[in-house]
Amino acid sequence: MRIPILKLHNYLLISIQTEIDDNTAIQFQEDLLDKIHKSGSSGVVIDLTSVEVIDSFIAKVLGDVVTMSDLMGAKVVLTGIQPAVAMTLIDLGIHLNNVPTALDLEQGLIKLHQELGE
Amino acid sequence: MDEKFKKIAMENSDSIVHLWLDEIGSMKDYNYTSSISEELFESTNREFVNVIFASIKNQGNSKTVEDFSEKLINLGWPLSYITDGLQVFRRVTIDYILSQSDQVDSTYISNVLQSVDNWTEPIIRQLVNEYTGSWEHIVSLQRVALQELSAPLIPVMERITIMPLIGTIDTERAKLIMENLLEGAIKHNSEVVLIDITGVPVVDTMVAHHIIQAAEAVRLIGSTCILVGIRPEIAQTIVNLGIDLGKFPTKSSLKKGFRKALEITDRKVVDLDKKYGEIEEMIDSLGEG
Repeated sequence: MRIPILKLHNYLLISIQTEIDDNTAIQFQEDLLDKIHKSGSSGVVIDLTSVEVIDSFIAKVLGDVVTMSDLMGAKVVLTGIQPAVAMTLIDLGIHLNNVPTALDLEQGLIKLHQELGE
Repeated sequence: MDEKFKKIAMENSDSIVHLWLDEIGSMKDYNYTSSISEELFESTNREFVNVIFASIKNQGNSKTVEDFSEKLINLGWPLSYITDGLQVFRRVTIDYILSQSDQVDSTYISNVLQSVDNWTEPIIRQLVNEYTGSWEHIVSLQRVALQELSAPLIPVMERITIMPLIGTIDTERAKLIMENLLEGAIKHNSEVVLIDITGVPVVDTMVAHHIIQAAEAVRLIGSTCILVGIRPEIAQTIVNLGIDLGKFPTKSSLKKGFRKALEITDRKVVDLDKKYGEIEEMIDSLGEG
């Protein structure tokens, strides 16, 4: 199962709507980096509104993806993290300190816009 | 034997009641009941002693005891009134029965003690149960009320929400605070959430830890958390305890925090400046005249 990555001008939009298992996550990481390389996008929004569970591995992959994309010159914003998910992450001691977040897709795009200074 | 004692007690109930009332009356002066009016005290005493005798008579029929205890609870009589009353009743009755018997030996005394104990025990048990039941009920109601008050969320403006915290924070409350904070932030679509700790008397490592966790969770869902209402003594404890609050903005007062929140959401407060304008116009017109 692969997660679709949509291109919008020079941004990439990803809405994760299924339970992510470890393989999907790794696959997603590769796909996204590939896509950033191909399209030369400068911003990425990953929307997690429909994700109800995130375990420590997925959280680590998400954190890594953000750092990797940063290295490739694309800012990433995570949006729509659910309260229950946020609480489990904090309980697990995962703070995702280097990851920008926003309430929803719209805010996320605004944030990207600000961060990229466009 | 028991029947015989019961007979003695029943036949001489008037004198036992008399003795009992005397003794209870003498207790009135130096204890809890001193604020209760004489008439009420006497009528309650009479009712109480009637209830005791009724209960002894029908052995196990507890309807009267139940009604009586309900009444006492509603009127707010202390539990010690009941326990004292029954103690006194036991003492008086044992004395009386012993004084009525011609031949007294140790078995006899122990029999008397046992029977009288058997009469009063169920009443004590039931009354104490009713009392504690009512207390537990009150405590549970108050706990619910406290929980409702413990983590309120006020959406003051579009995209800005305030959570004022008052009173000590324990782990259970911290959890509730975090849940309310996160759900509220999403529900009201707030970009900025202000946590006001003006009313939190002590901030120790545990409270600070809970607040930091809440603030980080808020960041994860995509809003910003500002901690406001940090009093000088709290600032001192935080630094002395070596707690790092540097990860999110803090302000001394809600006012300043709110201004910061407006700044984050690209807004500001503007004075309409109407009055000054009017006054200047007046002065100008005076000058012209």
